[in-house]
Amino acid sequence: MASARSSRSVFARPGLVIGLGLLALQFIAIVFAPWIAPFPPTEANPLDSLQPPNAVHWLGTDEIGMDIFSRIVFATRVNLLIGFAAVALSLGVGVPVGLLVGYYRGLPSALVMRFFDFIQSFPVFVLGMALVAVLGQEIWSVVIVLCMLFVPMFARIVRAEVLSLRERPFIAAARCSGAGDFAIMFRHILPNAMTPVIVQVSVSIGMAILLTAGLSFIGAGVRLPSPEWGLMVSSGAQQMILGIWWIALFPGLAIVLSVLSFALLSDEAKRYVDTGRGGRAR
Amino acid sequence: MRTRDIWRRQPRLLRIVLIRLALIVPQMFGVTLVAFLLIRLLPGDPARLILGNFATDESIALYREKLGLDKDVWTQFAIYVGNILKGDFGTSPFTSRPILEDLADRAPATLELILYAVICTVGLGVTIAVVSVVKRGSPFDWGARIYGFAAGALPDFLVALLLVFVFFYLLGWAPAPFGRLDLMLNTPPQVTGFLTIDSLIAGDFEAFRSAAGRLILPVLTITIVNAGAVTKMAHSVFSEIWDSPIVGHMRACGVPEQQIVRAALRNSLPPIISVSSFILGFLLGAAVLVETIFSWGGLGQYAVQAVINSDYAALQGFVLVASAFILVVYSVADILYEVVDPRIRT
Repeated sequence: MASARSSRSVFARPGLVIGLGLLALQFIAIVFAPWIAPFPPTEANPLDSLQPPNAVHWLGTDEIGMDIFSRIVFATRVNLLIGFAAVALSLGVGVPVGLLVGYYRGLPSALVMRFFDFIQSFPVFVLGMALVAVLGQEIWSVVIVLCMLFVPMFARIVRAEVLSLRERPFIAAARCSGAGDFAIMFRHILPNAMTPVIVQVSVSIGMAILLTAGLSFIGAGVRLPSPEWGLMVSSGAQQMILGIWWIALFPGLAIVLSVLSFALLSDEAKRYVDTGRGGRAR
Repeated sequence: MRTRDIWRRQPRLLRIVLIRLALIVPQMFGVTLVAFLLIRLLPGDPARLILGNFATDESIALYREKLGLDKDVWTQFAIYVGNILKGDFGTSPFTSRPILEDLADRAPATLELILYAVICTVGLGVTIAVVSVVKRGSPFDWGARIYGFAAGALPDFLVALLLVFVFFYLLGWAPAPFGRLDLMLNTPPQVTGFLTIDSLIAGDFEAFRSAAGRLILPVLTITIVNAGAVTKMAHSVFSEIWDSPIVGHMRACGVPEQQIVRAALRNSLPPIISVSSFILGFLLGAAVLVETIFSWGGLGQYAVQAVINSDYAALQGFVLVASAFILVVYSVADILYEVVDPRIRT
């Protein structure tokens, strides 16, 4: 009965179905890339360059004859790896920092918050491209840039939750029963502060994918011949004026669909949290 | 106590502006520090990296002395700040010109682009939000909601390329994405640096047509991508006010609908102003991508060239100028925010 009701509510939400469907597609692409892709992703075949979509090259080939469909499939690994790694690292740093800064209110906490203000006042893209240029055009440089963006964001969200939670009676009760600061923070406050963070995680992965693609597009990100969506769009940018549309369009669509899937999931998570919090009896 | 009284007696606007100006100084210091440290992150000798591979040993030794590389890092920073204050941002080994001149030459192109873009973005975003709140539940409202959601997933470079493909290649309506002005036309004498304004001042309507025409696609790109975020935000602010008792009261008093909309809009201005300033800052980054596609010749394209050429001195100058610009924008927005909302006490 309960499962029937929940399955009906799943299908009543087109956003959730589309989001999960696209996510599943991306995971299939990541895991089974070598079996799905008909060509190796970095194999150039100059004789077959600039072919429009056809039966052999489903989405056409680029100017040095690499198969676009295969590259899109393999690029899922690169783009999602960067997005997941950046968000995971930022969670690992941002959440504890947010906890500490929210729990201990003093000069150090105020300084940390001012420092975050300062970082966030920088134009993300400008600083990102300068940093990647300086650190070297590696996947990990991009990840570091994204972390600089996300750590303050997560820390801020957690801090806001902690500030309201720490005044609640159940925290006073925990303290009376002899729990130390550490136990209170990580066992009692943290689980209750995670909901808004979880909603933000999905959006952040989408943002990470967009930023990575943008950085690679201008040549301050992943380098050729690695398959990466933004880089692929960039290699088709010049051809677009000549009417050769498939090189840039298909990887661009991959970016749109990927970002959209994470945005949809985040939106659904938010709706679930909003209704679940009010409706659930505890 | 006395000084506080004097402070309180000053006009409110003056107090707001003074506080903001006082805040800018330490922030500017921080920005300079970051721009300075950026180059220090590089492995190797900064002088050799900045001057490039073709520099002679003599010129590198000279440059090391100028940067003070034999002294400790704080002295180096002091020298750097001193040079910046003198307007000396260094010389780019690629254009062989002072970086400050390079940046000043290119700044108007970028400013013109993002100024028009921010006007269109905020204008469109707020209009869509207001109409969809007033006509709640209509097909327009649904469309606006889907747009507000989906626009966030669009990469600006893809939108730009698709617009070029459709309007230049397929339809032939738009000019080729090569710069701000038709190559056959003469650039009007520089007054403001904005080609659309300079050409009008010079009375050169052909140049104006060309400059305005070439602005359409880049501005449209930025608007399509960013108006969604403005719509989303303006929608939540405006609908809250639209549902408030004031609006019900005005309607009960028989105030015309148009006037109610205007009053409600006036009340939702402060958050819209701060988001607009945020968008303006964000657009500087977006402009980098859009400028590259349209060969705009502005700051963004200069920065991309600097990245490609590993021209670190130019990159450093760009980061400094861009961050300073955004700092000023945010400060102006903060001032406006407080001026517009008299409830904020200063």
